Amino acid sequence: MAAYIIRRLVWTVPVVLLVILMTFLLMKQIEGNPFRQTERAVPAAVQANLERKFSLDRPWYVQYANYVKGVATGDLGPSLVLRDRTVNDIVKEQFPRSVELGLLAFGWAVLLGVPAGVLAALKPNSRFDYGSMLFSNVGFALPNFLVATLLIYFVSVKWGLLPTSGWTTWQHKILPSFTLGLVPMAYFARLVRGTMLETLQQDYVRTAKAKGLRWRRVVTVHVLRNSLIPVVTAAAPLLGYIITGSFIVENIFAVPGIGRYYVTAVSARDYSVVMGLTVLLSVIVIVANLVVDILYGILDPRTQEARG
Amino acid sequence: MSATQIAGRMAGVDAGAPIRQSSLWQDAWRRYLRNRGAVAAGAVFLLLVVWCLVAPLVSPHDPNEVDFASAYQGPSWSHPFGTDQFGRDLFTRAALGGRISIGIGFGATLAILGIGVVYGAISGFVGGKLDNALMRFLDALYGLPYLPFAILALAIVGTVDFWTMVVALSIASWFITARVVRGQIIILKENDYVRAAKAVGVRWYAILGRHLLPNTLGVLVITIFLELPGVILGEAFLSFLGLGINPPDASWGSMAQDGRDSYRAHPHIIIIPSLAIATLVLCANFIADGLRDALDPRTKET
Repeated sequence: MAAYIIRRLVWTVPVVLLVILMTFLLMKQIEGNPFRQTERAVPAAVQANLERKFSLDRPWYVQYANYVKGVATGDLGPSLVLRDRTVNDIVKEQFPRSVELGLLAFGWAVLLGVPAGVLAALKPNSRFDYGSMLFSNVGFALPNFLVATLLIYFVSVKWGLLPTSGWTTWQHKILPSFTLGLVPMAYFARLVRGTMLETLQQDYVRTAKAKGLRWRRVVTVHVLRNSLIPVVTAAAPLLGYIITGSFIVENIFAVPGIGRYYVTAVSARDYSVVMGLTVLLSVIVIVANLVVDILYGILDPRTQEARG
Repeated sequence: MSATQIAGRMAGVDAGAPIRQSSLWQDAWRRYLRNRGAVAAGAVFLLLVVWCLVAPLVSPHDPNEVDFASAYQGPSWSHPFGTDQFGRDLFTRAALGGRISIGIGFGATLAILGIGVVYGAISGFVGGKLDNALMRFLDALYGLPYLPFAILALAIVGTVDFWTMVVALSIASWFITARVVRGQIIILKENDYVRAAKAVGVRWYAILGRHLLPNTLGVLVITIFLELPGVILGEAFLSFLGLGINPPDASWGSMAQDGRDSYRAHPHIIIIPSLAIATLVLCANFIADGLRDALDPRTKET
């Protein structure tokens, strides 16, 4: 296990470097330079000084090396558009809101999705089973901007129960997090149902039943624990879903988080912010993957041999 | 077949004649037809595609004609889906939008498949250290969100058309497909007929082209319908954020964006294209399930 963790850790470094390089080269392709965009003509000397200050006059690999050095020391550089702020400032201000939104969405998914899957599996082909699977299918298919619009239309505008947008009180947080949590919810319901049904057929479940263990105890001790392992593994791809979804949800509900700011920064050609946010999101996903892989190995010792 | 028929056959036909066999694909087709949900989804899917192709041809309305006098109309006989803020007929525009959404969807899915097959086949076929390196790389990238990279790609090209959208959507979405293809190749490689082919000196590219890749076809067909929903939703997200294909062309996503500001008074403008997306995605998911059960019965869900 230790060898596996170390090998996995070692591989993370080149991947992070490569993702930074990919992002970096992509950014270099974008036409235009933030300092040439302004209507005010900047004297050539000032222009040169600005470019020197931000190393725009150096070859790309020097810029890349500088950038990697910055990332390694936790400094994502200055914003190119908001002159008095650094990318770190922006991340510090906006990121906690996005994390909160993501965690709340994940909370909805665990709170509603997992029990739905468990109950559906305990009574397969019942009305509840069909109902929750239908809900799961529809949850996957509906674009989140439609869900968001319908929720705002009915809950906020027609019934006046919750605010339409913003991110200040807890009431503001219900609709965005629920919208964002819908796909993970559908995913959990389906996944847990599948793994539960599989576990229920295992020999050790039959044995537990045969030796006279109460059904409730069989389910909680033997079935549930083993069925929830895949939920841990699913957390990594779901993080990707949540990040993607947050771009839309933050946009519609005017949540001042990273997802919304990303689009703003791209249209403002704020290279360093876009770079910083892309690298940040990628590193989060890569690290989450690492943690999940290691957790999976601990939770299910059988996988260790398979992975060598 | 009755006993007499069998007896008749045995007597009448010479012993060397081949018995009628059903191919893998015929079997799969039969299994697929038994799955009612998947058949219904397939029918709706086809209907939607045919509608997108035919409706603009027979529609009396010009999809791009601006007529403010008839703006914001609700559904009626002359405009079954109503009109948008410019008075354009949404029935015709939804069909045209469908052509773009579905076209980009299939385009990007095929691009994902292409990259995935090359990466996966190299990794699985070569094996050893290269395979290890390529797979550890994928392990780390697993679950990387495609949206930031798609947005970056679109920002680079500036003007967004069909092909830039296809590239943007496939650039960071092929990791899972590559892994699936690699897994298939590794399993197939161990088959006796591949070993036999190797033993008699068949060149590597012939083994890959004749024995390995054709046998991954079943999995690839499933993958098309597994990837399609994500790509179609991805295009819709990008369009909804205002990064979609340039007007006056519109996909379902950009049509939904058109209806965003007027959803309180005229919800049909955002609801119609969104429901079209939802229908397509729902059908694709059911088709993928049906195909998986039909083509790979071993993995049939309980």
